[in-house]
Amino acid sequence: MGKIEWAMWANEQALAAGLIYVTGGIVGVAGQFRGWQFAAFGIAAGVFVCLLEYPRSKRGKGTSVERTGQYCFTVCVKAFGPLTRNYYVRAFLHAALCVPGGFMLATVLGCVCLGIASLIYLSAAIHGEHWEPILPRTEPPKRVGDSIKEPPQNPPPRPPPELRRKKADKLETAAYDNPMSVTVNE
Amino acid sequence: MSVALKSWRANEGPKHLITMVWIAVNVFLFWKTFMVYFSGAQYYYLHKMLGLGLCISRASASVLNFNCSLVLLPMCRSLLTFLRGSQRVTGRHVRRLLDKSKTFHVACGVTICIFSVVHVSAHLVNMVSFSVRYSQDFPALNVAQYRGQDPRILIISTVPGVTGVLLVLVLFLMFTASSYCIRVSSYEIFWYTHNLFIVFYVILMVHVAGGALKYQSNVETHPPGCIHNNLSSWTNHRAAGEKGAESSGAPQTVCQEEARFQPHFPQTWLWVSGPLCLYCAERLYRFIRSSAAPVTIVSVFTHPCSVVELRMLKSGFKPRPGQYILLNCPSVSSFENHPFTLTTCPTGKNATFGIHLRVLGDWTSRFSQLLLQQSNSSEILPMMQQRRYPTVHVDGPFGSPSEEVFNYEVSLCVAGGIGVTPFACVLQALSDDWRQYKLRRLYFVWVCRDLQSFYWFADLLCGLHERLWRDNRPDYLNVRLYLSNAQGLQSIGEERYRFLSSRLRIGRPKWKQLFQEIGRANQLKRVGVFCCGPKGMSKTLHTLCNSNPHTGTAFEYNKESFS
Repeated sequence: MGKIEWAMWANEQALAAGLIYVTGGIVGVAGQFRGWQFAAFGIAAGVFVCLLEYPRSKRGKGTSVERTGQYCFTVCVKAFGPLTRNYYVRAFLHAALCVPGGFMLATVLGCVCLGIASLIYLSAAIHGEHWEPILPRTEPPKRVGDSIKEPPQNPPPRPPPELRRKKADKLETAAYDNPMSVTVNE
Repeated sequence: MSVALKSWRANEGPKHLITMVWIAVNVFLFWKTFMVYFSGAQYYYLHKMLGLGLCISRASASVLNFNCSLVLLPMCRSLLTFLRGSQRVTGRHVRRLLDKSKTFHVACGVTICIFSVVHVSAHLVNMVSFSVRYSQDFPALNVAQYRGQDPRILIISTVPGVTGVLLVLVLFLMFTASSYCIRVSSYEIFWYTHNLFIVFYVILMVHVAGGALKYQSNVETHPPGCIHNNLSSWTNHRAAGEKGAESSGAPQTVCQEEARFQPHFPQTWLWVSGPLCLYCAERLYRFIRSSAAPVTIVSVFTHPCSVVELRMLKSGFKPRPGQYILLNCPSVSSFENHPFTLTTCPTGKNATFGIHLRVLGDWTSRFSQLLLQQSNSSEILPMMQQRRYPTVHVDGPFGSPSEEVFNYEVSLCVAGGIGVTPFACVLQALSDDWRQYKLRRLYFVWVCRDLQSFYWFADLLCGLHERLWRDNRPDYLNVRLYLSNAQGLQSIGEERYRFLSSRLRIGRPKWKQLFQEIGRANQLKRVGVFCCGPKGMSKTLHTLCNSNPHTGTAFEYNKESFS
């Protein structure tokens, strides 16, 4: 029911898979197991995937919550333009990165998890989603009102001098009291 | 200062105590299992082959057993509701601990993930050790078929290996879909992946039945490290050398028989089967209860700010004020259950119960469209054609912290926007009969962004106030309304809501002053603070409850939490 944003889930999965990849790679290199070169590749690939996936995408509808300190990563990832915007590219990239992990015992799990993330990204791409950077909104400073900045150029309109002269017999209907006399001759 | 300590102890003490006990049990299990495998006689040969990887993997497995069994218990909602309701069985502190059940579930879940990583890493090292240190002397102990077999083959050819990989994948899917971000944006992904837990548990039961690790069953007749007649001289020399190095006084025994190995009984079945059966029984009970009695929708009202009130009738449904239900509407979505707090409970005079739902997401908009499309048609319906409301199923009622409002002498209820719903039910119950409860004074603070929101319960508030005045208890109810959006001149103009308009303030409430006032007016009492609203507000209140010394008054903080 409703539109599910697959990319958000794929993003979480890819980040977790990257960490698993790195952990497996470290175990493989530290133990100097057979095929430890694959483990070293796993560390590098895992770090790259983590850096790529750390900035969250902006949600299609609703408020987006960014990860702490993701702004610098957002700027870097945005710089690659359509390569990072498109989820097909990401899906194939993750699929390609995960394959060498399958050759070494310690990185097998990282390989499988990254493969699953790549499949979910493919699903997101098929649904037409793409990556949008979350940038801080530069709002124009709130303008209270233009009129406050500029004082009025003209005085307020006044009735002609004949009407302004208070008629002695019609004091009650006089519009206002003039503090100074406005008649010409007085 | 000592009063603040009293508040802190009441608010945080039981929580921290349970956390300490839980951590202590985990550490104890890890250490005990580690030592059994490290120095136990029945694992001597296995330990020689696998080294530290054996001890770490088994110790983390025992921690995993414990947490996999505990993680299900906080989710047995009907059981927790029953515990909350039976006031003679559980005291106040236990009931307040039940508020934190979801946090405990998350803590156990995170522990499961962390220790799974430890367990898997240790077993990967074990796989390599099985392959590299293939033992000719004790062939029954081996998992590999020959020395130097590729460890990856070991994973895919043994039952524990394959099931282990599947378990990691299921756990990966469940864990990545449970983050706060996903729950807020697409709850369906979280719900459907989390229901994979049953697959997880079934595979877990098969995983531990694999029998890859074996213990020696005849330690008395074959003490580990003894000299065997048929063993190769190299092993004998090694054993003799070790014995000599360890302690010269130990006699070198001769083995009476060959070492026999046996896989141990899968302990996990004992740990996990109880809570799993309990949880499955609870889900079955909830399903039967929700589909047994049909729910009839009696009436639908619309309120300002896109809020729809729904009144329903269900036989045998007896909720208490403050509880919530899960609503399921098959015409909108077959599997989605949405929680709504009850705003009206059935009383002697009126057997209907009601909820207020705010139309915010796709499920609520579709549901409200189905409910309201009847009233949009302007043609006159013939007598036979009644209003056709969609069928709904109601699961519940489930307990929540707001039920405790009646168990304090003085309570402060703070609501933010639509978070007023649990307290609306409380007010409804008070206007029905306020004398039967322990509650003597209720401070009700409601903060809204929009003036129109106050009209949702304006009648209820005014009605309760009038009733209390008539019963000569004008100081029982103390209402403060705050309009946080301070734009323009706004006030409640109607004559019949004069009670509310005189208590309406523009701007955010000043919590410190409010707490001081309540403290001064209720010295040496215990005040229950209930908050249902945005996180920032509840955090502020929580800090104030713990830190502010108020003339001998202790403030106990209870928070209503949504997903």
